[in-house]
Amino acid sequence: MEIKFGEIEVSDKKYPKVLKEAFKKLQQSLGPKKLYYKGNWSNEIFANCLAVVGSRHLTTYGRKATEQLITPIASAGVTIVSGFMYGGDEAAHSATVRCKGRTIAVMPCGINRIHPANQVKLYNEILEKDGLIISEYEGDIQPQTFTYIQRDRIVAGLCKAVLVTEAALNSGSLITAGYAKKFGKKIFALPGQITSEVSKGTLKLIKEGAEAVSEAKDILDFYKMNPTDRLPMSNGFSEAKGVKTIFGSKGLEQKIFEQLKRESMKADEMARLFSVPVAELGTILTIMQLKGFINQEGDKYFIN
Amino acid sequence: MLIKVPSVANLGLETIKVDVEVNLASRGLPGFDIVGLADKAVAESKDRVRTAIISSEIEFPQKKITVNMAPADVPKEGSTYDLPIAVGILSSVVNFTIPEKSLFLGELSFDGSLRHTKGAFLMALFAKEFGFENLFVPKDSANEAAAIKGLKVFPVESLTQICQHFTGQKDIEPVKYKPVLESSWDKAEFDMKEILGQEQAKRAMEIAAAGGHNLIMIGSPGSGKTMLARALPGILPPLNEDESLEVTKIFSASGDIPPGGSLVTRRQFRSPHHTASLVGLVGGGSKPHPGEISLAHRGVLFLDEFNEFPRSIMEAMRQPLEDGCLSISRAKQRVIYPADFMLVASANPCPCGYAMHPKKTCTCGPNQIAKYQKRISGPILDRIDLHIAVMPVDTTEFKDNQQNSEFLEASEKIKKRVILAREKQRTRFASEAIHSNSQMKNNQIKTYCKLSQDVEEILRQASLKFNLSARSYMKMIKVARTIADLDNSEEIAVNHMAEALQYKPKNYESA
Repeated sequence: MEIKFGEIEVSDKKYPKVLKEAFKKLQQSLGPKKLYYKGNWSNEIFANCLAVVGSRHLTTYGRKATEQLITPIASAGVTIVSGFMYGGDEAAHSATVRCKGRTIAVMPCGINRIHPANQVKLYNEILEKDGLIISEYEGDIQPQTFTYIQRDRIVAGLCKAVLVTEAALNSGSLITAGYAKKFGKKIFALPGQITSEVSKGTLKLIKEGAEAVSEAKDILDFYKMNPTDRLPMSNGFSEAKGVKTIFGSKGLEQKIFEQLKRESMKADEMARLFSVPVAELGTILTIMQLKGFINQEGDKYFIN
Repeated sequence: MLIKVPSVANLGLETIKVDVEVNLASRGLPGFDIVGLADKAVAESKDRVRTAIISSEIEFPQKKITVNMAPADVPKEGSTYDLPIAVGILSSVVNFTIPEKSLFLGELSFDGSLRHTKGAFLMALFAKEFGFENLFVPKDSANEAAAIKGLKVFPVESLTQICQHFTGQKDIEPVKYKPVLESSWDKAEFDMKEILGQEQAKRAMEIAAAGGHNLIMIGSPGSGKTMLARALPGILPPLNEDESLEVTKIFSASGDIPPGGSLVTRRQFRSPHHTASLVGLVGGGSKPHPGEISLAHRGVLFLDEFNEFPRSIMEAMRQPLEDGCLSISRAKQRVIYPADFMLVASANPCPCGYAMHPKKTCTCGPNQIAKYQKRISGPILDRIDLHIAVMPVDTTEFKDNQQNSEFLEASEKIKKRVILAREKQRTRFASEAIHSNSQMKNNQIKTYCKLSQDVEEILRQASLKFNLSARSYMKMIKVARTIADLDNSEEIAVNHMAEALQYKPKNYESA
């Protein structure tokens, strides 16, 4: 596939209007003078943008929530803008690409550099799915501490609203949210557990007036859009054929299911909770995994 | 006057006969020379022998003494030839004949007494095989040699004593073999019941011990990986007779049998540090010496902080993990040391160690984590059957009775199950060259692990869902076989396979 590339001056007609207007509120000269890009530049891609940013150390909850929220939003036609960093940004881009939505990655480095380099696959997928890679830096300039923050102002400036999925206090995600506030954009935040380090930032945003998000509709309403039917997502796995329930384990399976609905747990913890030998519990956990009821990530089990 | 004193040379685990020929010539200037490819330690024995004889208040002959060690083209090393040389000289001075079918070995001290010398056990094996009857060895090394039945092992304390024995003044009584209860350094440091929580990890340890499977633990610092590993020796079955001989041979060759020691009966637990050299770990040197992996033969090799081990060491372990032995080739000689060990490795999930920690946040980027995990050689990981995550335990989560050590299973009890499972494997593999489930090759898996349709279906589903490689597929069958053995079941049932799948290779990147 041939990848188009080019550059857009601030004086150019094609320069995104929302970005120009955002900086009008601040100071026009602070905005990027020139944007380098890869992909198909069209004005329509900037029409309805949602910035999704999150911690580099995204938790499993954050990843799941991102996917659950982003899939219907991106499918409805909203462009997801993020910073291509690993963790929260990567989750947002990936979720969009997976449901064939369009996404814009704003890079903190030169346009010819892929950073972080191990996300090369995602990078190509974004372009394949008609997305855009943008940077205000030319060539293959290395990212610097300040370029991340400069990048954040473009992410915030390009969109109508920002969704912060998970953020620690003093994090880059909060900087993006800070820019969004200055630009007068709407801020959504994903509520999390108060004990989690990466929920402290989002909870702070909610206290300061950001809107707490619990379903995609909260955001789609803001964009005055309806979820489309073209959701490719399959919620709930079909039961694996041929996997039989082990005799007498039905009751325990039910108990495990109910417990995991409330919170994810380790095998050891469940063995203690239900007073079952861990060998027996492991057997049932595998069967439930094969049936598609639960999933394992790291050492914890989750409901699908 | 020419006297021949038979002794042996140990080349690796092989033993050959060496004739120590002592010639005392009346003509020529008095002197003392040793010929026959002797190394420094052997050449120095001149001075030890001379001083020891003088200290024993026997006159040292003022003659030209030449000692030849035949065959002359085999390199001789170590201090084991002190006694044969001294006996050769003494037989001419004190005037006695050396009894037939005898072998001599031992290092002398300046005061005429004998010191503990390595290789006595190997010499006894050689003696048994080639029809020697009398062994003269230092008193401290006599017990290990006496472990071989049907030999007269004479514990020699000093040169004076051996002269009295040969001249008929006072006989030395041959020793009777006494098995020594092995000292505390050999015991497990922890009992399984001392470890709170970690139920799944403990179960994996049990399976590993029962089937001889290799195991890797991944977890944050302070989560108890090392403690679990150190508790492992407590649930290992004792060595059987054949295994015990194999291990004792290696220990005798490396000089690791303590004075007065006997057969090694416990499975060894070796835990070399990651700064160990390649040669120290796998064995070698200009005169090939057994390394840690050979000393761990039939036991456990515990490699803590596995990803800190240099790549060269990991790659060097591939052959022994596959073949159960290591052949060391040097210009002058080639030695094969057995190295059939159970590998237990532990590693952190990422450089900072907290990638999976329930409370602490990891500060590593995915690049760093990927790089860190790549340090473990893929082919080595491929040879590890059981993969477990070990997480720190929060003791506040426990109910009162679960903290009680009575409630937790003791090592002794687990060990009984492990022994039974091993027993089953021994009968199963009676006609094969292997002795544990972990050693099965693919064709043996097909013969001994018949899977019912249900079990095969589970495994097929799992390999699709979890993306198991062909090798992992086979490993799962081996682990399921061991679980079935622990359950005293001839058939591999659905629940055995399902449990085995709990220990499949995992991805540790996200918390």
